[in-house]
Amino acid sequence: MVNAQFPITITPKYNFPLPPENLLLPQQLIELSMRSLKQLEKFHPPLGKGPPYQSTLPRGDRQFRTANLVKLKPNALQTRIVAIDASSIRIGETERGTLLAIRGAIVWRQAKRYRYLRLGPFPFHITERNKNEICSFLHSGNRAAVVHEDFMPSFIHLQTKLTTLLERWIQAFVIQTTHDSLILWDGSLVVGPFDVPKHSVEELLKEARSRKNTILAFSKMTRLLLHGRRITDFIWRQPPPCLLKIRNHSMMAGSMSLLGSVYVTKLSAGSCAFRLDVDKELSHKRAVEAVQNLLGDDLIRQSYPETLRLAHIFSTFTANEVIGIQRCFALESNMKIVTRPNIRRLLFGRFGKGAEG
Amino acid sequence: MRLYRKEGSTIQIVCFPNERVEKGDYLTIGDSQIGKSLIVQVIDIQYANVPGILEELLRHYDGDSYIQGEDVDPFEVATHIAYIQDARLLICKIRATENGGDLVFASSWLPHRSRAKVQKLSIERLLTKAGTNNGYSIHLGETAEKKQLNVDVRALDGSLNIITGKKGTGKSHISKLLTLSLASHGAPVVILDLNGEYTRLSHNNDGKPNEFLEKIHVLNPRQNLKITLGQMELRVMLSILINALHLPGTSAREFRRIWHYLLQQNALSMHELGEAIRNWKCNQHIRDALYSRYHTLLNSGLFTDNSTQITSLGEALDLARVGGVVVINLRDTSNIDRLIVVEFLLGKLLELLSNWKLRAVFLFAEEAHLYLKETYWDDIVTRMRHFGVFTTFITNQPDTIRENIYRQADNLFLFNFTNEHDLETVSKASRVDSETIKSVARDLPPYNCLVSGRIVNDFPIVAKIRRLDVHAMGQTRLFFSDEN
Repeated sequence: MVNAQFPITITPKYNFPLPPENLLLPQQLIELSMRSLKQLEKFHPPLGKGPPYQSTLPRGDRQFRTANLVKLKPNALQTRIVAIDASSIRIGETERGTLLAIRGAIVWRQAKRYRYLRLGPFPFHITERNKNEICSFLHSGNRAAVVHEDFMPSFIHLQTKLTTLLERWIQAFVIQTTHDSLILWDGSLVVGPFDVPKHSVEELLKEARSRKNTILAFSKMTRLLLHGRRITDFIWRQPPPCLLKIRNHSMMAGSMSLLGSVYVTKLSAGSCAFRLDVDKELSHKRAVEAVQNLLGDDLIRQSYPETLRLAHIFSTFTANEVIGIQRCFALESNMKIVTRPNIRRLLFGRFGKGAEG
Repeated sequence: MRLYRKEGSTIQIVCFPNERVEKGDYLTIGDSQIGKSLIVQVIDIQYANVPGILEELLRHYDGDSYIQGEDVDPFEVATHIAYIQDARLLICKIRATENGGDLVFASSWLPHRSRAKVQKLSIERLLTKAGTNNGYSIHLGETAEKKQLNVDVRALDGSLNIITGKKGTGKSHISKLLTLSLASHGAPVVILDLNGEYTRLSHNNDGKPNEFLEKIHVLNPRQNLKITLGQMELRVMLSILINALHLPGTSAREFRRIWHYLLQQNALSMHELGEAIRNWKCNQHIRDALYSRYHTLLNSGLFTDNSTQITSLGEALDLARVGGVVVINLRDTSNIDRLIVVEFLLGKLLELLSNWKLRAVFLFAEEAHLYLKETYWDDIVTRMRHFGVFTTFITNQPDTIRENIYRQADNLFLFNFTNEHDLETVSKASRVDSETIKSVARDLPPYNCLVSGRIVNDFPIVAKIRRLDVHAMGQTRLFFSDEN
C-alpha cells in the first residue's frame, strides 16, 4: 500500500538480482525442452554415465622470472562480485536419443554473505527427429545464440551447445542488471568459429564495459604454451598474490579468436595457479585493479575465488539429482526405465573401463 | 514400496515419502503368480543410502547463513529430487510365510524382487490370520492404527511371563490389566505386592468401589495375615528356617525332632515350641541357633496361637478360585519377614495345588529378587509350573532375572529401555529375535508395549496399553507438585 502511494525508483545496482518471479527466463528454451520431452514414448534408457574426466595438472619445477609479474595488494572496495556457471549431465539414453539436463547458477557476494540463484534443471530429450529443431533454435536470432548457422553439431555435441546457450544467456542477464561489478566467468574468452560465435561474446563484453562491469574469466585448465611450457608453470614458485601477463603464447593460430588478454594468476598460497582472461579492451592497469578488488572483496581458496567455486558447486548435478530427474522423466512421460547393458563390460569384463557403449 | 534385499531373516524395503510406515508395522510381500506372501515386521527405519546425498546436504548447508538463495525450477524437478532424498529403507524381520491362507513360521521362500507387491498389513488382519482371539478375549489396548487390540487370555495359562521396562513406562499398569482380566475370566491370581500398589484395585480412580470389590482380597502380614503352626506343614516351616533364616542342617534335624514331638503331644503352638527348644536336650550351639530363629519368627508378628486371629490363606484362595485376586501386601514388611511370608505362601500354594484344592494359580511377582531366594527361580520356572503356578515377573531391573528365565519365558511384555545393557539382557528372550527387541524397545513411548510370545502367536505387536479406571497406587510420591 505504501509503495502504491509513493512509487520508489530503484537503481539497477540495488535491484540486482531481479526476484525470480520477474526473471525473464528464456521461454523459448523451456518450450523447446517441453517439446523434446513430449516425444518420449516407449523407450528404454540406460542410466549409465561415463567416467569423470581425470585432470592432470602441469608440474613445473623451474623458477621463471619475468619483468611482467605484478605483485598484488588486496583492495577492499565493497565491490559486488558475481559469478556464473552452468553445467549439464547426461541422464540416460533411449532407443531414439539422449536424455540430458542443464542448469545454471549465479552466485554473488553481498555484505560478506553469499547468495545464489539457480536456474533449472532444464531437461531435454534429444533425438534424431528433434535435433534439427534444436539446432534451428540455437541458430535463431536470439542474443544468446551461440551456434553458427553453417555448423550442424553432432548428436553428442548438442549437450555442450545447450549448456553454453544457457550460460551465455545468464551472462547476458547479469551484465544487463549490474554495473560497477566484477563478473566472474568459468572458462576463457576464446571464441569461434562455430562453438562460440565471436559477435555474441563481443556484444556481451561491450555491454559490460558500458556498465563499468569487469569480466574476469578463470580457466581451471589451460593448454596454452609459452616456450613449450604451460603458461601456469611460469608462476609456479612465485609468492602469492601475483599476476603475470602472457604475450606471444601458442593460441594465436587457426580460426579461433581471443577476445581477452591472457594472464596467469596465483592468488593465494598453495599449488594452484590459473589462467585468467580479461577483456582486451580494458587496460592492463584496470585488469590489475580488478584482480586486486577481487582479492580484497572475496574469499580466495587455493587461488580460486569462492564466489566462482560456489557457482560451480550450485550448478553441478549430484547423483541424487540425477535419480530425481530420471524419476521426473519417468513420471511425466510414463516411460519405463531400463538399463542398457554396458558393452565394454560385457566384452572385456573387469578390463572394460571407459565410457559405456 | 519396493523389495530391495534380503540377508538372513532380514528384508530391506525401499519406502517413499508418501508411504506411511512406522516401526512395528507389518507388511506383506506378495507374489500373486505363485500365491504366496511373506509377512514381515518393520523393526527399523533408516534413510535410503541415496548416492550424492552428502554433496546435496553440504551444498545447502546454511547453519550460519553462509549462503542462501533461491531456485528457479520451471519443471518442478526439485520435488522429485526431494522425493528421492527422503526415500527410506525399512529394515524388516520375516515373521511368517502365507501360503494359500496357511501361516508357516519359516522363510525358506524368497519373493520375486521386481514382481513382488509390498503392502501394509493391519494388526487386525494379522491377528485374524494368526487366529489369536478365540473367545477368552481381553482388551489390551490399541495398535498404532488406533484399532482395539484384543488377545486371548488363555495364552497366559501354563505360561511364564515377564513384564519389564524402565521406571514409569507402564509395567504396573499392564500387570493390573492382566490381573483383573484373569480374575474377570474366573482365574485365581496371587500378587506379591512389594509397594502396596494393588491394594486398591477394587476401587475406581474417584475412590468409589468397582465391579472387582468382591474379587479383591488384600492380605496384610501381621494384620489380617496371621498363621498358626497348625496350619503349616513341617516342610513349609523347614523351608522358612533354611531358606529365609539360614538355619544350618544339623539344627534343622533337631528342629524336625522337636516338631514331631510337639505333634505327638498335640501341642503344636508357638508357646510350646519355645518351651520345647528351651528344654530340649541337645548341643548348646544348636539350641542357641534354634532359639534365635524362634525369636525371629515370634517377632515377625506373623505367627499366633490365637485361632480367632488367623486368616487362612487357603480360604482367601478358595474365594479367588472362581475368579479373584489375593494381594499379599509386602509394603510395610521387613526383608526377613518378607522372605518368611513368601516362603510360607509358596509352600502353601504347592500344598493346595498338590492336593488339588486349587486347579492352578497365576502368580504376579514384582521385583522378585527382593524376596525370592536363588534356589526358587528354577523351582518356579520348572517344577512349580507343573503344579499349576504360572508366574509373571515384573521388574525394571532386567538383569535381576536370570538368563534361563528369559529363555523359557512364553510371553514378554516389553516397555521402553534405553540402556544398552538392559536391552542386551532382555534380548535373551527366545520367542522374539534380539534385533527386534533392541530396535523397537528403544523407541517405545510411555505406556506403549512390545507384546511378544504366545499371546500374539509369536507376531510381536506394539500396542498402547489401555488405561484402567482403578485407583492407581504405584505412582512415585513427589515433593514438588504442580499445586506448589
